[in-house]
Amino acid sequence: MTDTRISSVRPRAASPAARAVRPGARERGTRLLAAVFLAPTVVGIVIFTVVPIVGSVVLSLFHWNVIDSPGFAGTANYREVFGDTTVLVSFRNTLVFMVFAVAAQLLIALALALTLNGRMPTWLRSVFRSAFFFPLVLSAASISVVMKYLFNQDFGVVNWLIGLFGIAPVPWLTSEHGAMATVVIVYVWQQFGFSFLLFVGGLNNIPKEIHEAAALDGATGPRKHLAITLPLLSPTLLVASVVGIINALQVFEQPYVLTDGGPGDSTRTVVMVIYEKAFEQLRFGEASAVGVLLFVLIMAVTALQFRLSRRFVHYQ
Amino acid sequence: MTDSLFSRRALLRYGAYGAGAAALAGTAASWDRLTGADIPGRDDGSLVVATLGSAFSPAGVRALVDGFRRLHPDIKVRVNAVQAVDWSDFFAKILTQIAAGTAPDLVYVATEGVQLFARHLGVPLDRWVRRDAAELREYFADVHPSLVESMMYEGSLYQLPIEFNAADMYLNTQVLRRAGAEFPAGDWTRDDFTALLRRMKKASDSHFTPYFWTNRLWGGVVPWLFANGTNLLAESKAPGGSWLWDAFYPADRRRGRGGGFRWTTPQATDDRVVEAYDYLAALVHDGLCTRPEGGNGQNLIGVFSTGRVGVTPAGGFWAGGLHLAGMRADGFDVQYFPRRHTQRHQFGAAGYALLRTSKKQDAAWEFIKYSARRDTLGKLFTTNQTTPALRSMLTADRYRETGPAHWRVFYDTLDRFPDTGPIPAPPQVAEVTQVLLKHTGTALSSPGSVGPALRRMQGDLEKAMERDV
Repeated sequence: MTDTRISSVRPRAASPAARAVRPGARERGTRLLAAVFLAPTVVGIVIFTVVPIVGSVVLSLFHWNVIDSPGFAGTANYREVFGDTTVLVSFRNTLVFMVFAVAAQLLIALALALTLNGRMPTWLRSVFRSAFFFPLVLSAASISVVMKYLFNQDFGVVNWLIGLFGIAPVPWLTSEHGAMATVVIVYVWQQFGFSFLLFVGGLNNIPKEIHEAAALDGATGPRKHLAITLPLLSPTLLVASVVGIINALQVFEQPYVLTDGGPGDSTRTVVMVIYEKAFEQLRFGEASAVGVLLFVLIMAVTALQFRLSRRFVHYQ
Repeated sequence: MTDSLFSRRALLRYGAYGAGAAALAGTAASWDRLTGADIPGRDDGSLVVATLGSAFSPAGVRALVDGFRRLHPDIKVRVNAVQAVDWSDFFAKILTQIAAGTAPDLVYVATEGVQLFARHLGVPLDRWVRRDAAELREYFADVHPSLVESMMYEGSLYQLPIEFNAADMYLNTQVLRRAGAEFPAGDWTRDDFTALLRRMKKASDSHFTPYFWTNRLWGGVVPWLFANGTNLLAESKAPGGSWLWDAFYPADRRRGRGGGFRWTTPQATDDRVVEAYDYLAALVHDGLCTRPEGGNGQNLIGVFSTGRVGVTPAGGFWAGGLHLAGMRADGFDVQYFPRRHTQRHQFGAAGYALLRTSKKQDAAWEFIKYSARRDTLGKLFTTNQTTPALRSMLTADRYRETGPAHWRVFYDTLDRFPDTGPIPAPPQVAEVTQVLLKHTGTALSSPGSVGPALRRMQGDLEKAMERDV
């Protein structure tokens, strides 16, 4: 019936204007071909991303301990999670960690990229690039195990070294603030290589002529970087900060191996809580509820970044 | 009527693409695919035995499997060594296998998981033990009843213990000599212990820490609670179990035994618990021991064997570890844990648990019996990486090469202190452990933290114990 109606109002021949906006056969074919090529990726995303996300949301509405059959819980898991001080502290810790880790990661990476972008023998630049990137390809768990030895208060090399200068042993991993600072240090040491590579690429894309023109106009050192380099690098900064923040909000290996979330809960992060609730306490429903909340937080922070980027990011 | 969207040629081309894609999809769908069941042993009728990866050496596992095959050629066995950092991690991986539908038939379970598995997954061994009583008489005669009782839950036996470790005290003899101290007597007190630590500290440089401990359920705070005559959770015994005690143990050895332990009401704010924490806080404050987060098993062997630590709690498992680390047999020795109000010790034991999901339960029982035989354990425990549950296996020969000189302490702990018991591990063990570790860290973080931290621990333990896992 509906089809008949539509066909009755459809003009038999398209007007020239309509013909102009309607895609031609070739274009439709191209779109279809694109859809065929995209299909495997889309199917992959659906299976490995969409389904797990939906599965987590569904699981967050159930009580499930792996051993027995799941039972519908409604919003009980969310009420439990919001009343759990450990969960709330873990969100606070994760946000604090994110702020310090991402800021340090971006600043260090940017400073080193700017330094390497200056006059330097090519071979030396290659050595530095490799050295800065190398930690990123190592396993975070392995690095954390080694760092745990190095930062041990009583037997670690770090305290031994500073002891040579008469400094008392520092409780790197055994005091609340010290532990968080150490986790940030270890994380940044490993992660800044990624931002560094992005910045190196971004700096190489800035035309030399702009810098030369600025130099002719009298711009030097810091002024040149503030007025020219940073604005032109802002798209790269946006990408680096978005990726950095998403990674930092999901931090797990470093605090898990270095401090196991301690002392107390001072370095317990959201993903650690998800792991503990699911695989140690067998409360998969609550773990999923925390996972859903983390997902919402990441989406919100990322959306905020893109919103702010309209004001601060300059595309050439 | 319709617009011509495709040329005939394009239509044919895309039709061919579609047919090709459909053919590919059909081929892929009909192809024999690999699944979890294709992993050798999972679906070939083998009896699958899951062990903690680091528990046995590959040679030991080979000897175990080959020996069993010779005895039971009709039963195929596959040992699945699950790599995990600790028992908690191991149980998580086993539960994941169960959730995935690839549950093993037998799981090597330590005290930490005995009640969790018994309550949800395990099969009581009672009927097989009764049936094969004559065959098992020699085994039970050689195994201390405390170990057997730790494997019981609500009156039934779920595992035959094949190894255990009591938390005794290891001492570095080089450090003792440096401090000019004598090897302590078996009935030494907590004050003697503190005095020894002070003496060691005085005789050493600033890089030396007299007492090293690891914040965990076994060997952490709990031995100090036991010595103080208390526990984290109120302890009682389930009724029942007489079917086993009457059948295998004489009256003097079965006295006071029940149907397994029950850990119920949290008592973290009990005066004796608070006193034990105050004591540890004082040791930390005086620089006599590591902080809870500072001590971990990964670097313990290194710092102990090089004389940077004087004393640490450990069980028979450490004799082999120190020997492999290059320590001479006379470089260390072992003594009982010091006395406070009592000298009750803590231990953890392990054995094979039979899962309800197993369809080869009779074959699994044969494996359990075989694995608990003296000759089998002799092949499995060759490097003193644990204390065998069979007393007759602890001989001077076994410890001649590795040490320690006072090796008898390992098993005598059970005889000399008959109230020695397992670590408190109710079915809610994962959460209990997490609460204990977390609040122990806070309690010992600064002076005055003990009271508030233990009050929070009490609240969290109450919540944990209310949960029906």
